[in-house]
Amino acid sequence: MDATTVLAAINGNIATVGYGLAAIGPAIGVGIVVGKTIEGVARQPELAGRLQVLMYIGIAFTEALAFIGIAVGFIFV
Amino acid sequence: MTSTTPHPSQPTSVPVLRRILVYGAFLAVGIMVIGAIVGGLVAGASGVVSALIGTVMAVVFMGITAGSILLANRFAGSEAAIGAFFGIVMGGWLVKFVVFLALMFLLRGQPWIQPVVLLLSIIAGVIGSLVVDVVVVMKSRMPYASDVTLPKAPSDD
Repeated sequence: MDATTVLAAINGNIATVGYGLAAIGPAIGVGIVVGKTIEGVARQPELAGRLQVLMYIGIAFTEALAFIGIAVGFIFV
Repeated sequence: MTSTTPHPSQPTSVPVLRRILVYGAFLAVGIMVIGAIVGGLVAGASGVVSALIGTVMAVVFMGITAGSILLANRFAGSEAAIGAFFGIVMGGWLVKFVVFLALMFLLRGQPWIQPVVLLLSIIAGVIGSLVVDVVVVMKSRMPYASDVTLPKAPSDD
């Protein structure tokens, strides 16, 4: 059995890959948002309140993509 | 409505996040009503149920972030404040997505669910709560220098 046949024989639902892909982007995005917030608070602790709100907006926009991506993967299979 | 001046030991983000949660709840009711009417017209009873479930899922899961920040702010000023804050916020995010995945697994293929109505109401709820977040933050007034505790003046005796 050559390699092409083996690849062609892989079965299952391709949407399973989609769930993983839908998680990667927001995970990186939220990681950057939170990391930058930690940097900002470490530099200027008195700005913690403002930075928390901005961090919240960043997380909300990033996770919106994750929700829509995961839901689409489940609905259109 | 809570007062706009937070407790001294609380970060100034607390009233803004509270307002986001309250306005998000109002928005959820609005989207649920519209979604239920449209879903009922398009797909009957299963459309109504799907619209209600989709909107509640979207708004609750989006609101968990603000709720987790509010919860984590209760630890402000303590020794483990930073660790507790990011532990609670990121842990809440992780748990939220696991629960979301589990719910989607459970709901998929149920006969009383109309998938397209569910998806559209999730998208409407997510985008609506983003709009609420941005509007509330734009209208919020937060001082540039906040959360400062000045040292006490020395006593003269």
